[in-house]
Amino acid sequence: MWGYVRLELTRTLRDGGYVIFGIVMPVVMYLIFTNLGLAPGDRHDAAIYTMVSMAAYGALGGAFNNGSGIAEDRAAGWLRQLRLTPLTPAEVVAGKVVTGAVAVVPSIAAVLMAGVLVNHVTLPPQRWLAIVALLWAGTVPFSLLGLGNGYRLSGQSAAMANIATMLTLSILGGLWVPVEKFPSWLGAIAEWTPSNSYAGLSWRIAFGDVPTLRQVVLLSAWLLVFGVYAVYGYRRAGRRA
Amino acid sequence: MTTKTADAVSLTSATKRFGPVRAVDGLTLAIPRGQTVALLGPNGAGKSTTIALLLGLLPPDSGRAALFGLDPEQAVRQGLAGAMPQEGGLIPRVTVRELLTFVSGTYAAPLPLDRVLALARIEDLRDRRVDRLSGGQAQRVRFAMAVCGDPDLIVLDEPTAALDVEARREFWDGMRGLASRGKTILFSTHYLDEADEHADRVVVLGHGRVIADGTSAEIKRAAALTTVSVAADGESAWLATLPGVRHMEIRGGRVHLRSGDSDATVMALARAGAVRELEVAPADLEDAFVALTTKENA
Repeated sequence: MWGYVRLELTRTLRDGGYVIFGIVMPVVMYLIFTNLGLAPGDRHDAAIYTMVSMAAYGALGGAFNNGSGIAEDRAAGWLRQLRLTPLTPAEVVAGKVVTGAVAVVPSIAAVLMAGVLVNHVTLPPQRWLAIVALLWAGTVPFSLLGLGNGYRLSGQSAAMANIATMLTLSILGGLWVPVEKFPSWLGAIAEWTPSNSYAGLSWRIAFGDVPTLRQVVLLSAWLLVFGVYAVYGYRRAGRRA
Repeated sequence: MTTKTADAVSLTSATKRFGPVRAVDGLTLAIPRGQTVALLGPNGAGKSTTIALLLGLLPPDSGRAALFGLDPEQAVRQGLAGAMPQEGGLIPRVTVRELLTFVSGTYAAPLPLDRVLALARIEDLRDRRVDRLSGGQAQRVRFAMAVCGDPDLIVLDEPTAALDVEARREFWDGMRGLASRGKTILFSTHYLDEADEHADRVVVLGHGRVIADGTSAEIKRAAALTTVSVAADGESAWLATLPGVRHMEIRGGRVHLRSGDSDATVMALARAGAVRELEVAPADLEDAFVALTTKENA
């Protein structure tokens, strides 16, 4: 299985979509937002708040991109080819999930590094650890949603659906513009999105608060929904393979 | 223990339906180890479905498929089989070397990479990106994926369909090397000359059933298609009643008799004093194939 993960990571790093949506854009947007005074609060708070937002946005890009890869692989007959090797289907699925989990790391790391090196963000070590852990683990629901789309839809439409979902969740979840600046009706919707709970966990930690129970419960509920969706997509794809 | 003695491939009354179509219809086929077998049939004869059943890619609706006495999926897990589907299986953004290193790594005892590259004649492509290969090159890489794990059974679904004449010849040179190492090889093909030339045994499929099974010589004989022809001279209808003759046709001033026993037909022609510009042409497999499959349709 590790050979499979290695192959998939090699392919991911050579994927322009991943590099642009998962790494370059979040870093560039972070630097623009914070240095042109477009972010809320004073300069120091804005650098921290937007760092979490853009790291979350990049991680979403990486997570959804991994799901699009599944649709591409299915169209190329690669999933069938894998079934003709000694790898078990469980190893293939596990390998893809591990790949997704590893692929979001550079996205998160790139923005946090930009925060430290360019915007001189300083936080106590335990907050850094908690933020990295939550930003990383919190991608699982989005990975599952991306994989569900990848299994259920064909190559091009899966990629389109994943990019559209990723952008919608990023904007609606307040990753680009804080929810406080939304009109109230939009803000009400935003509070129910998985992306708002996901980034919210780390926003709270970054400013020395404890995540709210609501954020944890909401993200867990979405995890369940997207998990069911991914299993449904996988079963459907299996019947057609 | 069963795996030591069982046939490499065994299908027993296997049936697979797609909606109202019986793609494979009660098919029984056993291939002993070490044989090179061609699966021959027109489009829609059930070749690819048969291959999918025996590799465990599709479950049969009824009947049973086994490889080396094992459930096909289990045999694939143990690295006993390698296969090249009719199309696909190549992914973008990896080099030939990276791809084959990965596939080899899933097997317990793969061939060394250099051997695989030589066998598939892709030594010069090892650092090329898989998505930048020509059709013929891609086909050789797909072949390399099927053989790199050094499996005992190699299944190839229309391996040369996309290749030009030169590439086909090179492909079969590589295959001969494999067969001489005691591998069991099953390939499907449209190219009748390939079945004739490269297989120990030819299995002809039509409508999901085996309609002929034997050496290519046996198939031609079974199809009764040696053509005996003589120059036409007056009333010729009586020639159709000669021993062995199954079909008569008059064209280009000659009488063409298709015979199941060309010796008897020629002797009878001689006794009747009807030997004029005699020609005896053995059937090629193409004729046999057409005859067998049209007989099936009738």
